[in-house]
Amino acid sequence: MNTKARSMTSNDKNSPTPRAPSVLLAYRSELAIAMACVALLVGVGIFVPAALSSGNFANILQASAPLVIMSLGVLVVIITGGIDLSVGSIFSLTGMVTALAMANGFGDVTASLLGLGVGIVFGSINGVLITLVGLAPFVVTLITYAVAASLAFIVTNGRSLGVDSSDYWLLNSGELLPGIPNFVVFCLVFTVVLEFVLRKITAGRWFYSVGSSPMAAYLLGIPVKRTRFAAYVISGTMASFAGLLTVSYILNAEATAGASLMLQAIAAVVIGGASLAGGTGSAVGAVLGALMITIIQNGVNLIGINSFWQGSVTGLAILVAVLIDRFSHR
Amino acid sequence: MAADKLPLISVRNLQKSFGVTKVLRGVNFTVSAGQIHALLGGNGAGKSTMIRIITGGIRKDDGEISLSSQRDTEPKIAVVHQELALLADLSVAENIAIVHAASARSFVHARKRAEIGYKALSLIDPHLANTALHRRAADLSMHEGQIVEIARALSTGADVIMLDEPTANLTAGETERLFAVLRRLVTETNIGIVFVSHRMKEIRQLCDVCTIIRDGMTVIDAAPLERLTDVEIVHHMGQPDARNEIPARHKIDHADVGLVLKGPECAVPVLKGQILGLAGAPAGPSQVIALLNGTARSSTWGLEAEGWPERPTSPRQAVELGIGYVSGDRRSKGVLAQLPIIDNVLASRRVREGRVFVRRSERTECLDLVQALKLKAGSILDLPSTLSGGNQQKLLIARWLGMSLRLVVFEEPTRGVDIGTKRDIYELIRRMADAGTIVIWWSTENVELLELCDEILAFDTDGQAKGLLQSSQFNEDALADLTGMAA
Repeated sequence: MNTKARSMTSNDKNSPTPRAPSVLLAYRSELAIAMACVALLVGVGIFVPAALSSGNFANILQASAPLVIMSLGVLVVIITGGIDLSVGSIFSLTGMVTALAMANGFGDVTASLLGLGVGIVFGSINGVLITLVGLAPFVVTLITYAVAASLAFIVTNGRSLGVDSSDYWLLNSGELLPGIPNFVVFCLVFTVVLEFVLRKITAGRWFYSVGSSPMAAYLLGIPVKRTRFAAYVISGTMASFAGLLTVSYILNAEATAGASLMLQAIAAVVIGGASLAGGTGSAVGAVLGALMITIIQNGVNLIGINSFWQGSVTGLAILVAVLIDRFSHR
Repeated sequence: MAADKLPLISVRNLQKSFGVTKVLRGVNFTVSAGQIHALLGGNGAGKSTMIRIITGGIRKDDGEISLSSQRDTEPKIAVVHQELALLADLSVAENIAIVHAASARSFVHARKRAEIGYKALSLIDPHLANTALHRRAADLSMHEGQIVEIARALSTGADVIMLDEPTANLTAGETERLFAVLRRLVTETNIGIVFVSHRMKEIRQLCDVCTIIRDGMTVIDAAPLERLTDVEIVHHMGQPDARNEIPARHKIDHADVGLVLKGPECAVPVLKGQILGLAGAPAGPSQVIALLNGTARSSTWGLEAEGWPERPTSPRQAVELGIGYVSGDRRSKGVLAQLPIIDNVLASRRVREGRVFVRRSERTECLDLVQALKLKAGSILDLPSTLSGGNQQKLLIARWLGMSLRLVVFEEPTRGVDIGTKRDIYELIRRMADAGTIVIWWSTENVELLELCDEILAFDTDGQAKGLLQSSQFNEDALADLTGMAA
């Protein structure tokens, strides 16, 4: 064995150069999803030109609004490394409670607040069982999912309930800002506020810290339990709000209204770049994920494929999204 | 050394980049049969990356790797990583047996599994073999887990065994037994062993040849160790001279008691600006540390300090009181892996100062800290995983730097860190103490405590405080005696 000493050529690289953080760079994965959405729309447009009409865009936005809002709530939970399976049931129960309250003579506002209370109460139950009792999020929200789903049937014995109030549609479709329906405003405001909280508020960074390493976060003095609790309350409340919007749109409440939404919301968050292991994800990404799912559903309908295929196509979209995510990080 | 020099691993001109950073720029590495091979290099030199490429964990960009076996089987390499890799919910026996060919069969008899586990463990630690076989891996201490992993690697019949700082959590006795087993394995089965360590003493004790990697290139290729002096080795690693002077101490005001640690049978007054070392196996020091960082539910230890409760009831309270905490267990107790460097550095400040908004000025604040620590980072928006182990450790210290703390607790801050970074960390510890902060520092390397501390509280392996040494009484043998740990 010979001793070979090689001369060193490297320069000293001690100073960490602060790279200018560009917005494009910070949102590059979101940009990719947005482009995928556009590509999907154009793809559908080739078969059905009507897909690219402004009428259809309005349809997509209206159809996606509840999912967008629910996904934003689920995102917060997933960032903390948890999961919320109860959002679909909370959505349904909220609708039933609100419609029932109206049928019993409560005003629109009171009935809506009662509906929101469903999300706050169930979110709090999730939060308490997970943080104080220490049960696994999957198990806890599986329980509240089952309970809320059955309560949604119990309150009216399974009957669907119409909403008689003549003004209630204004919540969803009224135009507080002239020319822009409220559901669009709600989606935009929630997205912008949540994105701001997650990026620019210390407590928002805590969601990521807790999801990244609960032990390290705890040792740094971050209130891990409170942060987790807040995530489930936010998630439940957002699911309730999504339920209110839907009731306001179709003026009818049904016990199974939210049955398919829970998996769609989780899918939207994952397509949006969040990891189920926690610590990553953005509000903009989750919204785009929700839009993509809606675009797929819309496309399947327009092209006239049997709507039973929707799930398969959505599944494929999730697969593509996580594959892109996986290989772009290697 | 054996006459037979069959190369088991031969790496030629290996190259690898992560993004724009070139980590390996032409590494050569040859491990021959019957050799214990020291792999040396500073943090970030590329050792771990090379090991991960050889074992197939990540792909190479360019270069050649050939593996060969002395038998007719596929060449097999076993690695013991620095971080534990046990399956938490399986028993010790299952953890060991799972890598054995017998386990590939659908049904493995529980007794057979226990046999494999027992045989493997009793090589290094007969006591553990008798007591721990059916315990869950999650219930093992750090140090027991390390032994199980080493035993597992040794028992696989691999052609080459790579050990990445295996002695970091071992006592003197265990280290000695491990070395004896390694030597016996090499002479009896003629395998190759690669040993990564930052402890010169152990390297000299155990290894035959060494390869030194610096900045992604091989600077010394399989040279016999006896031909190199310590100074030469440090020089080739590109480290500052290990005997670099640490700045002289400021005077400590001996009347200015900052806090009193009250143990079961003792009370230790600690002066402001004093460095108190905790020496010994984890049992005792970990109790004191848990008391101070607010994680202890109840404690036989208590503290007495002006305006402080007897013990902080949560890490949050500890942070608010002005107690900093730096762990050497970077992965589970330190780094927020998914958050950029800036959030990692500023997390404790945001909590302590009750900051509501993430301000733009925090960028400059973080950059100043990063530069003050000579922390090698591409950008403060990068993830900590882009940093080497030593730089991650500095990042954990940056959290508390310049923060008007009354006390900083260090828990093995130099674990898995190269000599150059160790010196930097020593300097930082000194700097904090000189600013009037009390430093309480647990280390299993007695030498560094003896060099830097003002007083050392020694614990035996059962966690009993055995004695408080003043700097005038500092002495390696006395301390080793009190703690039962190697220097």
